[in-house]
Amino acid sequence: MPSGALLFQSIILGLLLGGLYALLAAGLTLYFGIMRVVMIAHSAFLILAAYLAWWTNDRLGLDPLLSLVVTVPLFFGAGVLLQRGLLSRLRPATLTMMSVLITFAIALMIEGLLGYAFTGTQRRIQLGYGTASFGIFGARVAVVKLIAFALAAISLVALYLLMKRTQFGWALRATIQHQDAARLVGIDTERTAGFGFGLGLATAAVGGTALSLDTTIYPSLHWHWIGPLMAIIVVGGLGSVPGAAAAALLLGLAQSLLQIPMGATWAQTVFYVALFATLAVRPQGFFGGRLAQRF
Amino acid sequence: MRSPARRTTWALALSAGLTLGLAACGGGDEGGGNSADDPIVVGISLPLTGDFSEPGKGVQEGYEAWAKITNDKGGLLGGRKIELKILDDQSNADRVVADYEQLIGSDQVDLVVGPFSTRLVVPSARVAQEYGMLFVEPAGAAAEVFNQGFKNLFYAAPAVADDHYNHLAEYLLAMPAGEKPRTVAYAAMDDPFAQGTAYGLKKKLEAAGVKTVVDEVYPPNTTDFGSIAAKIAAAKPDMVVGGSQYQDGVNLIVALQQLNYQPKLAAFSTAPTSPEFAKAIGNKTEGILSPTGYSQDAPYESNKEFVEKFKAQFGKVPEEDQANGYTTGQVVAAAVEAAGCAEQGDCQQKLIDWLHGNTVDTVVGPLKWDATGKPQGAHMIQQWVGNDIKIVLPADAKEADLVYPKPAW
Repeated sequence: MPSGALLFQSIILGLLLGGLYALLAAGLTLYFGIMRVVMIAHSAFLILAAYLAWWTNDRLGLDPLLSLVVTVPLFFGAGVLLQRGLLSRLRPATLTMMSVLITFAIALMIEGLLGYAFTGTQRRIQLGYGTASFGIFGARVAVVKLIAFALAAISLVALYLLMKRTQFGWALRATIQHQDAARLVGIDTERTAGFGFGLGLATAAVGGTALSLDTTIYPSLHWHWIGPLMAIIVVGGLGSVPGAAAAALLLGLAQSLLQIPMGATWAQTVFYVALFATLAVRPQGFFGGRLAQRF
Repeated sequence: MRSPARRTTWALALSAGLTLGLAACGGGDEGGGNSADDPIVVGISLPLTGDFSEPGKGVQEGYEAWAKITNDKGGLLGGRKIELKILDDQSNADRVVADYEQLIGSDQVDLVVGPFSTRLVVPSARVAQEYGMLFVEPAGAAAEVFNQGFKNLFYAAPAVADDHYNHLAEYLLAMPAGEKPRTVAYAAMDDPFAQGTAYGLKKKLEAAGVKTVVDEVYPPNTTDFGSIAAKIAAAKPDMVVGGSQYQDGVNLIVALQQLNYQPKLAAFSTAPTSPEFAKAIGNKTEGILSPTGYSQDAPYESNKEFVEKFKAQFGKVPEEDQANGYTTGQVVAAAVEAAGCAEQGDCQQKLIDWLHGNTVDTVVGPLKWDATGKPQGAHMIQQWVGNDIKIVLPADAKEADLVYPKPAW
């Protein structure tokens, strides 16, 4: 039986990890909600943002968080262009299938370009506070993990407010819920979908920066992330941002706790077990409605 | 020279139905019995393209440096120059077999040495065995290389993965009972090499009664080490051992530091010897140990010459791959000088027998082998002292004393 201190430490680590998962999954579920697109390249953009944060720190000597000033608008623009230029041109009948292929290609391109620009050498941001931590009831909380968690929490709250309180948010939710009806009440769904996609990619910029604070990065790292993230958004209910966040926290916590008795190899499978269980028992997801009927 | 008489017998036997000329060709240096001017042709197949092209090119540089340095000193056997014949096997196991068939059978090279990586060493050693050729190889440390029953194979490096930590194990077990680490945590990547290093040490320490309190194996794609570190930190072992490659070692060390865990000793394979390491963990390297197969600073006699001349030839310092190629050359050269011959036929068995019974001084220290060709040594142990990594074990190669318990990181 593990000691109480270890359990408490694992819970803290699990929540911190889950927070990061939540932010990373939020964007992914948004794309699916908006236009039934499976965005394989989401985690590749994540690693791209992480590299830009590393570059900001290593080459320009600035705090990696400052890279957000550039990467968030840049990724937003890239998301709009990607949706308007490529994905909206796919035939609706084959959209989901073809979007897998096209975003897979984009992921490979990003990975290749990262390897070309920065080589395959594994990089890690050097921060004065990289290993700093503080104690709380006997457990240790690493400052960088807390910053990453705070970034995720702030972005998720901002995303929530944006979708609940602004006119753009209403339009976006209407587009997600029923595109034809949204068009009937005068919403420019094309434009809204484009901006929604940009919003999803902007979360990748924030997520990647948060990730870079405490991870060794390399160009092919994104393949390790896309699987768990896909599982999270299915468990959370495709298209539901709060569902994705809840599922992410839960699965992150489960992974962290299961490592105590099962070891790292088996603890990883929690995502896929949850994925199978969801598809078998409740295909619409445990937290959101089927294809995001609500939010 | 002892060999001409034997060689003549062999040539006569072979020449039944063959012309004398063909037999001479087989000997390579048969003409007139005076071989002082003929080069010794060494056949090599290397992965210069494909998966292993990076290390393959490194080994090639090692071989080239060996040929040049040896030739500059007048060659082998009293003036015969070394000539390398290198083929590219494209990292392909079928290709490597064809290459060695060609080198031995039709090109009639005098000697062959090995390619890079276990996957290519095993099939090529089999070809060499069929032809009765000596086969010294620079890479291929996995167990399967040594359980194929090869009698002609020698691995030209100090140790296989399981033996990397032998010097450290010896050192720790020789410590007085009160100071010895009593509990150890192991975390190893699920990979035969990385796991081999950590488990080699684990086996020895456990046999001596040192308790294992954590034994974690993680898949190669693990990037989050928070939970593993939490488990280790909660168990508060005196010592932590990581069977790591690179990013896993770095991430685990950082995660341990974030949990403020201060072991008396920390040993990690591979990662701490990487040039990027100190930077990656923010210079909090104090006291970290690592086994290494080669160091430019190692005090072995031939190493100084190697580093110096290699720099002059290639404009950079040699790393482990280059050293492995060079060591292979040194081993073959020692056997050739001792046996007094270098050609196909009976000579090869003499070379093999000599290596089985003798120790060879190389740039990675003195090497000797068991009957399967497994080297009987251990890796040097380096420790981060101040902002530099220094050799601390074995005693005859050390640049600094091992610091135990290690300072806080």
